[in-house]
Amino acid sequence: MIGPDLADEVTQDVFVRTWRKLDSFRGEAAFGTWLHRVAINVILGRRKKLGIARERFVNGEKALGGLSQKPPGAETAIDFESALATLPEGARQVFVLHDMEGYKHDEIAEMLEISSGTSKSQLHRARMILRDYLDR
Amino acid sequence: MNDIWTDRLSEYLDGELSAEERRELEAHLAECPECSATLDELRRVVARAAVLEDQPPTTDLWPGIAERIGVSSGEAPAALTDLDEYRDRKRAGLGRRRFAFTLPQLAAASVALVVLSGGTAWLMSRAARPTESEPPAAEAPAAPVPASFVSTEYDAAIVELEQILAANRDQLDTATVRVIEENLMIIDRAIGQAQRALAQDPASTYLHEHLVGTMRQKLEFLRQAAEMTGAVS
Repeated sequence: MIGPDLADEVTQDVFVRTWRKLDSFRGEAAFGTWLHRVAINVILGRRKKLGIARERFVNGEKALGGLSQKPPGAETAIDFESALATLPEGARQVFVLHDMEGYKHDEIAEMLEISSGTSKSQLHRARMILRDYLDR
Repeated sequence: MNDIWTDRLSEYLDGELSAEERRELEAHLAECPECSATLDELRRVVARAAVLEDQPPTTDLWPGIAERIGVSSGEAPAALTDLDEYRDRKRAGLGRRRFAFTLPQLAAASVALVVLSGGTAWLMSRAARPTESEPPAAEAPAAPVPASFVSTEYDAAIVELEQILAANRDQLDTATVRVIEENLMIIDRAIGQAQRALAQDPASTYLHEHLVGTMRQKLEFLRQAAEMTGAVS
């Protein structure tokens, strides 16, 4: 998303932003959902500052098309975790939130401001890509 | 390999297909080894994801945060150390537990705690001040409050509640479940500390009351969680 070198810095930014915006939390969504939204905004802001274009969630086919055509033997070059890091932003976020963090599609949809259907399709495509990087 | 069912395999895996769709897909799987193989791989991806560990920060982030929000950085918040416990629980397969229990079970557990609390107070009072009606010679030995009994009964009540956790798991959103888990972890830590202190000083009235109070807090917290699921009112 932003690289491990910046992750710690952004984590601090998220905490500070959350601290300062706490009074704007009105309880309309679950706190965790609101917190993720804050975190995503911080990350997107940082990416914008770094000139990294956001890949659109709504165009999953286009965003994922490139990765699905991996070169033969690529699965032996990188492991599962590395492959996860190479997923397009939208697919990776959905995969992490659903399969690693246990959120449901409707919750993810709210966090990422996408439809539940898009969340499902992004998850499936991410899994389809990652299955090629399982340990054999 | 790419038929109409291929793109539905994740939904099947996650239990999101209708009963009719599921039957159709299962019939297809019986005849399509490629889809069966893909489904098996998707299962492995999901299993692999479940054991991936969060990457902790490379440095202690709290001093920098404390400086920016204008508080003392002398001591890291307890939540940071609790995080390690949370990860341990997650690795042990406890990270995604949900809570569901019946009113009778909660009532039974509540009664158990009330009885235990009352019993503890009774034993304390007996140990602390013999009454006029009780000749000292006839009094039972000033046995320490049976903390193990308290713990055993309490654990049994909690275990009974937790054995049916999965029943209403979809009634709470994930963020709420996480908050519940983290709060229970904090309460469990307090209970553990009280139990350890009690082992060192079994006659301490304060520690006994503190232990029972913390246990009651956990039970009340579980009761509130149950109310949120709609399992009890």
